[in-house]
Amino acid sequence: MASASTGSTKQRLLTLIEDVEIATRELFEIMSTPKGQQRPGAPEPTELIQLLVEKDKEIKECLQTASKQAEIQKTIDDLKHEVDKRDLDIKILQKNLKEAENVLSTAIFQAKQKLEAINKANEKRISSEELIKFAHRISASNAVEAPPTWQPGDPRRPYPTDYEMRGGWLAKMSDMPNNVPAVQSQGSYGEPMATNRNPGPAEISVPPTQSHLGSLTWQGHGDGQMSSMGSHLHGNQGSEFKGHKDVDEVEIMSSDSSSSSSSDE
Amino acid sequence: MAQSRPIQGNSSDKDNEERFQTELEFVQCLANPNYLNFLAQRGYFKSNNFVNYLKYLQYWKEPMYAKYLKYPQALHFLELLQYEQFRKELANQQCAKFIDDQQLLHWQHYQRKRMQLLRAEAEHAREMGETKPA
Repeated sequence: MASASTGSTKQRLLTLIEDVEIATRELFEIMSTPKGQQRPGAPEPTELIQLLVEKDKEIKECLQTASKQAEIQKTIDDLKHEVDKRDLDIKILQKNLKEAENVLSTAIFQAKQKLEAINKANEKRISSEELIKFAHRISASNAVEAPPTWQPGDPRRPYPTDYEMRGGWLAKMSDMPNNVPAVQSQGSYGEPMATNRNPGPAEISVPPTQSHLGSLTWQGHGDGQMSSMGSHLHGNQGSEFKGHKDVDEVEIMSSDSSSSSSSDE
Repeated sequence: MAQSRPIQGNSSDKDNEERFQTELEFVQCLANPNYLNFLAQRGYFKSNNFVNYLKYLQYWKEPMYAKYLKYPQALHFLELLQYEQFRKELANQQCAKFIDDQQLLHWQHYQRKRMQLLRAEAEHAREMGETKPA
């Protein structure tokens, strides 16, 4: 009856119990048969009883070990539980961190974009007054928007028409023999406009000698809406005229309609 | 051929001024598709000098100069004119007519929208008037 000291406590316990079982059986056998009929190698009852006592002690020890082990196991379980809790906390924190990182990176990206936009805008500053002036200039003369009463037969156009072109500086620069140099008055930017207003002496604006091109502050009259008067082109007969000398010749077809000078509104 | 910017001390002020005026006028004439067709048909667009001049005229895009323009569409045409394909196409009368039509339609766009809006409002007001007394 070897006592098992290796293996788990459970196994040891079970082995011991088996040993006790065998010993008790032997004991009962021996006790139940008279002395004469016993087997030759049979142990003495006293020996068996001693064995039993020993086994009992061992069993008790084993049980104690088992209970200690149970306590330790409980502690292990508790600690494991704690570890799991901490793990969960860490995971949550990790998620939060990731979210925060995302949010911050988006915020930074957008902030960068805003800064870029600000810089870009700062590069091209324009005073609001200038913008308004410009807007007024292009809108008031129906240059970018049709007049409300416009019908298909209306000669007005979103670009300078033949009539207007002939009445401008380009025409004036020509070598036309019929060119009458009188009443050449230039307003802010010599853009002729063809309307049917009666030209009058009041339309003559100041001659251009005053404006200094060096500084390019082209102070128009009033809000700069004045424009030039056309030249008097009377009875044009298919004549051509050149543009200014530095450019290739620009021929403008002239019709046979005579245009009297007209000014802007 | 390419001239420098108008701000230059060499030529006289009067010359500069004249140049400014004429270039201003010319650049804005480019907004007229019929005129462009005219130029194309007479072969101006084939001359290198002229093409370079068109390139030079792009200075009108800067706000300092652009603020003098009355017909800002001219700038768009100036840009288109930098492309040879466009210059070639302009010799075609139909092309010019098409551009003209589109320009007119675009020109009338705002008024049309406005009319629609006003009409819609008037109808709405009428409906409200009709349903209310009932």
